[in-house]
Amino acid sequence: MVEDLDRSKKPAPTGEIKFKLPQIERFKLKNNLKVLFVRKENLPLLRFNLISESGSKIDPLEKKGLANLFTMVLDEGAGKFNAIELSEEFDVIGSRFGINCFNDNIRLTLQALTENLDRSLELFGTILLQPHLDEKSFERERRKILTSIQQLQDSPEDIADIAFDKLVFGEGNPYAYPVFGYKDDINNISIGDIRSIYENNFDPANSTLVVVGDSTCQELEEKLNNYLSSWKSTAQIKEPEKITKEGKLSVYLIHKEGSVQSEIRIGHLSGKRNGKEFFAKHLLNLIIGGQFSSRINLNLREDKGYTYGATSRFNYLKEASQFLVSTSVGSENTGNAIKEILKELKKIENGVTDTELDFARSSVIRRYPGNFETHGQITTNLASLVLYSLPDNYFDTYIDSLNSLKIEDVNKAGLENIHPDRLSILVVGDKNSVLKQLKELNISEVIEPDIWGKV
Amino acid sequence: MNLLNIDYEKYKLENGLEVILHHNSSLPLVAVNLWYRVGSSNEKKGKTGIAHLFEHMMFQGSKNVPKEIHFRYIQEAGGTLNGSTSFDRTNYYEKLPSNYLDLALWLESDRMGFLLPALTQEKLTNQIGVVSNERLERYDNQPYGLAWEILVSNLYPEGHPYSWPTIGFMNDIKSYTLDDVSGFFIKYYSPSNATLVIAGNFERENIKDRISKYFNDIPASKENTDNNENRLITPDVKLEKNIFIERFENVQLERVYFAWHTEKAYGPNDNSLDVLSDILTGSKSSRLTKHMVYDTEMAQDVSAFQFSGKYDGHFMIIATAKPGISLSKLREEIFKEIENLSKNGVTKKELSKSKNMIKSSFINSMQNLDVIADHLNNYNFYLNEPNSFNFDLKRYKEVTNESIKSVVNMFITNNRYIELQIRPVDKKPNG
Repeated sequence: MVEDLDRSKKPAPTGEIKFKLPQIERFKLKNNLKVLFVRKENLPLLRFNLISESGSKIDPLEKKGLANLFTMVLDEGAGKFNAIELSEEFDVIGSRFGINCFNDNIRLTLQALTENLDRSLELFGTILLQPHLDEKSFERERRKILTSIQQLQDSPEDIADIAFDKLVFGEGNPYAYPVFGYKDDINNISIGDIRSIYENNFDPANSTLVVVGDSTCQELEEKLNNYLSSWKSTAQIKEPEKITKEGKLSVYLIHKEGSVQSEIRIGHLSGKRNGKEFFAKHLLNLIIGGQFSSRINLNLREDKGYTYGATSRFNYLKEASQFLVSTSVGSENTGNAIKEILKELKKIENGVTDTELDFARSSVIRRYPGNFETHGQITTNLASLVLYSLPDNYFDTYIDSLNSLKIEDVNKAGLENIHPDRLSILVVGDKNSVLKQLKELNISEVIEPDIWGKV
Repeated sequence: MNLLNIDYEKYKLENGLEVILHHNSSLPLVAVNLWYRVGSSNEKKGKTGIAHLFEHMMFQGSKNVPKEIHFRYIQEAGGTLNGSTSFDRTNYYEKLPSNYLDLALWLESDRMGFLLPALTQEKLTNQIGVVSNERLERYDNQPYGLAWEILVSNLYPEGHPYSWPTIGFMNDIKSYTLDDVSGFFIKYYSPSNATLVIAGNFERENIKDRISKYFNDIPASKENTDNNENRLITPDVKLEKNIFIERFENVQLERVYFAWHTEKAYGPNDNSLDVLSDILTGSKSSRLTKHMVYDTEMAQDVSAFQFSGKYDGHFMIIATAKPGISLSKLREEIFKEIENLSKNGVTKKELSKSKNMIKSSFINSMQNLDVIADHLNNYNFYLNEPNSFNFDLKRYKEVTNESIKSVVNMFITNNRYIELQIRPVDKKPNG
């Protein structure tokens, strides 16, 4: 029987749920390529993610954009197939293949139906082992990216994100420039540079293959060895760079003619993902801006109605992160929105409440099983072990790490990781309606970088 | 295919609320997905955007749920949630650990039955601000962001339910009063105008009792809600002549949009139109992409799609010109390819490629409980049969060379269209 309803009372949960973490299996192929595998049999699908530590951070000086252009050319023909035929071969068997470049790494993604596993891996292997990397494709892809860069200037969000990286990470830092590079640099790149990335940086020794889906460890090991193990290692692994930059409270404005909104980015450099205070920072961020019910969104959206949404996050890269608050508001509310965000960041020194901490902790712990629902989610989780050099038992100890945090830990993380005196405050909007508001904030002089964040 | 055959039970409560249950115990999760049969197509000219604004008001609390608490409770339980509004319907959904199902039922039933006691001017003013900013962020301040509303307002005649954008026009959004909002609620948010899908790992023995407990006492609205008066206005829409529109905006590259009237969702031809769009621009080797983006590099991108709504639909092709290439050149190549298709049709390989990609995306969509729940509601809404995954896939298997040629001729070659050009401001004659 179901008891009577009292609508004024929030219903209690019915019992406890049982959740078993998927088991991660680890092995190496004959060429030493590391493999992480989670078996998932509910659908006849497999998802692969090859992560190679050769992202845009390896771009040489004056050739920013090289790694990205390499990923654009890599699947433009391989083995006996030209670019179009290769893409057709995947389509015909309903497989999806793609390559993306990030700051730290490049990632090749493959999703295949179980019935077409062999053929999909054969094509995947062909791209790894016999890419054409021909001049004609290279020139075409270069023209394509140059046009994309021209188009970016239309998008205030993109301008804000790109310029903010530059301002926060600072000149000379490998994370300071956009993954796709700069126009002049891209014009310096030759097909020889692309081939040299393939020879010297794209390599099993600095790569990991993540697999989720309908197979067994044994079957997978055999097939992967068959199709991928002649991919040979030659790479020189580069030592990571130390990333440090002391920010100074500053206001920046990038003029966007006719803009009816202001894109706002406020933040500073912060520490690595595998630092000890990660979990405390994670809960802290959920309280200040990490979800809908966080302080900043409730203030700017639900109280003031300035914006469709406002969030904060730690944007993690391998060697550093950014603490970042972002939103877009109607031009007339630019100054007020910045004031409110600064107020919220200043308030962190007063600490969080028990209720806030309970809420944040409960939301992230209870959400945990839902993070392992789809092939894509599990692949992303496994990839994060690789991307941020997390310990093998990271997922097993996740809940305990959160449960063991005390309010003092979270408050300490706030004091140590949020620095109102180091913030870069960037606005991309129409100078005519925004400049006066920024001056009236009386924070610093208003600096006007170009759209790439160059001061 | 067996895995696309979804086991479900459908029934109605006395107040008319339709319920669809799908049990799935693979994970300790449950998805709650509620469709109200109201969208922007129920609005009137001069009063646009209220269906979407109303969706926002549904998150502002109800009699027993204070403002901001709906989000907070679901997130505290480890759930995710949102809502969305289209021409045809408004949906609300949560996915959460299965032991928190009652929480979602309580929240959804409180706002279905008891929203009005908690409605205040302050909340409405706040959400008018939020939605105005949503419109600025997603449309007015986006490059090419107004293309869709320009196209639909010219493609569909004045007063047609699809002739304005779902977000609404800014002046309309700002005009709404408490009476408008409560009137909308009374008219459209009756349990008899909604379908509740629950999918996932719920306890089978008492699920119906639990649903009754939360939803039984909500009375059906006295107004007849299951009826869109707008639908009767214009049954068969045709353009009287080709329409050409040119706009100058703050953009770097020129872009052209073509739109043709086609037909409604799950009509006899929208499967062939979907496959046609895939053959034109669905992949690197598709016809327009290969020719315009790869071989000749006259376009930076090109895309085609069929939009299918409950009352009508249209087919669109959009292409962005590379610097130095004229839009008339793009137009010429697009129409040349259409002409070619209309005469010579498609190859066997193209057909099987598209069909295999479609099959694989059906399997792919089965990964997510909330996607399955939303699909059950979708099929129930448009086809009156929730378990239509296999039926839907079969429609695509049945597409032939002849059916593609026939839709090209019927809807494109022998049909009038709109051409919208968006060009950089500095190309504008006389500055």
